[in-house]
Amino acid sequence: MITVTDLSRHHGPRSVLSGLSTAFPAGTLSAIIGPNGAGKSTLLMLMARLAAPSGGRITLGGQDITAIPPGDFARQVATLRQSPAIDLRLTVEDLVAFGRFPYSRSRPDAADRRAIDEAIGFLSLGPLRRALIDELSGGQRQMAFLAMTIAQTTPCLLLDEPLNNLDIHHAAGIMRALRALCEDQGRTVITVIHDINFAANSADHILALKHGRLHSSGSVDQVVTEANLQDLYGLDFRILPRPNGRICDYFTPKGEAG
Amino acid sequence: MSPLPPETAAGRRHPLAVLILVPAGLVLLAALYVLAGSGFDFGYVIPRRLMKLAAMGIGGVAVALSSITFQTLAGNRILTPAVMGYEAVCLMTQALLVLALGTGSLALLGGQGTILITLVAMLAWSLLLDQTLFRRAAGDVWFLMLVGIVLTMVITTFTQFIQLRISPGEFAIFQGFAQVSFDRAEPLRLISSGLMLALVTGLLWRRVPVLDVLALGREQAISLGIDHPRELRLLLALVAVLVAISASLIGPTAFMGIFVANIARAIAPGPGHRLTLPLGAAVAVGLLLLAELIAGQIFDHRTTAGILVNLICGAWFLALILRRRSFA
Repeated sequence: MITVTDLSRHHGPRSVLSGLSTAFPAGTLSAIIGPNGAGKSTLLMLMARLAAPSGGRITLGGQDITAIPPGDFARQVATLRQSPAIDLRLTVEDLVAFGRFPYSRSRPDAADRRAIDEAIGFLSLGPLRRALIDELSGGQRQMAFLAMTIAQTTPCLLLDEPLNNLDIHHAAGIMRALRALCEDQGRTVITVIHDINFAANSADHILALKHGRLHSSGSVDQVVTEANLQDLYGLDFRILPRPNGRICDYFTPKGEAG
Repeated sequence: MSPLPPETAAGRRHPLAVLILVPAGLVLLAALYVLAGSGFDFGYVIPRRLMKLAAMGIGGVAVALSSITFQTLAGNRILTPAVMGYEAVCLMTQALLVLALGTGSLALLGGQGTILITLVAMLAWSLLLDQTLFRRAAGDVWFLMLVGIVLTMVITTFTQFIQLRISPGEFAIFQGFAQVSFDRAEPLRLISSGLMLALVTGLLWRRVPVLDVLALGREQAISLGIDHPRELRLLLALVAVLVAISASLIGPTAFMGIFVANIARAIAPGPGHRLTLPLGAAVAVGLLLLAELIAGQIFDHRTTAGILVNLICGAWFLALILRRRSFA
């Protein structure tokens, strides 16, 4: 659905992303992984049009994204960066309602109301509906911002480290919600993620970046191998198969393993 | 999910109380200002005060709208056009004109010329900020504030340098522009400023939903389909016109904008600009009225409304910075 061709981005002489070509399959959960400074967030920002590439192009359903008017783009791609520390006395419901801005710029109609209710219900935020955003915990806040992004009812969602700073309860909740978005609603979700275990167990497709270049990409089975992850992160990895997935162990250096 | 703490449910104040009390208080202040000690002199005192009232109304509304809009664009509660050097540029332009044209400037600056010239200067300043600071340092409040204050100091010093080169008579003219005053209220000027304000307010009102989305920050606004560079340019142009209106009609208001914008956000029942913009306008006009009443009735005109406003709002600005240092 989203295709990237020979994409690059420079900050002055420093190259953040160079010569990246890849495609994200539609209707699946794709994880972008890699060490710090690999260009993961940059790639996401370029796809979200939050920054302009220095070279190359990005297409959405075959159309160059720079040719899509901002309003139309917001009905196809919704982006959530790390939830901003806004200082507004908004309720969760007010925030989620902003997700309908691309459809009805000021007054929500019945369809908008329905989408807002669905997004709130989808993330079980019903009890917090009238809570003020700045009084929520970090995890609840992240959930509220995700609900806004979901209420945008776009075929494609771009998320930048949605699990950052969350406890495992909220992190698991968000990953379950993202899976359900793909499986039940057929949406395409592309997320930058740091936790390799969440990527290995929840994603369908993984893109690994290193030093601003494509390191490896493909299905979880293709990317999550001991040799590949060792090369990507420069750490010793042991991959422990489990009945419903696998666990990547990078806590025990080789030799110490019993 | 933990259940909602009880005090959060009542997080919203009673909207009706604010929306009735604020306009009622404003009408009361206006009536008090026009009638107090007037001896019901309908020949001179009351018409004169009505004209000053109109100047306070137009100037106050312009200060409030420009400050609230600018704060939303800059993404914080501290920066206003005055802090970012708009008024300093305005005064410098006037000083340069006095220097260049000498007494000829009297006719130009005294009449309709002021607003046109300040308008051009303000638009140019908006464009410059948009092209430079807002692109590179957006989001860095303390850096922007530092740049704004340093720019204001540099431009003010330059203005003082110009003042030294002009003759005493011309200096007196210039001094008239450098202070808050409602004595510039003459019918023609009020009408032209009022018409311009009505036009800008109309344009701004249509962008209220956009302003609400912009308050979520640049990235979220783009993600919601806002053409960010275009909206920023357009809204900064509207801010420029509003500052030109207030600066040419009532003079430089310094920290008044910060005070007004923060009070409006604090008393508004919600964060939407549909509420904060009109409430801010009411607070601004109320503040000017109150200052003028106190200066006239209590201090018997031995101080000016401008000094009182700057005293109150300057102290507020300091308090705000000290209190918010950690998370602005």
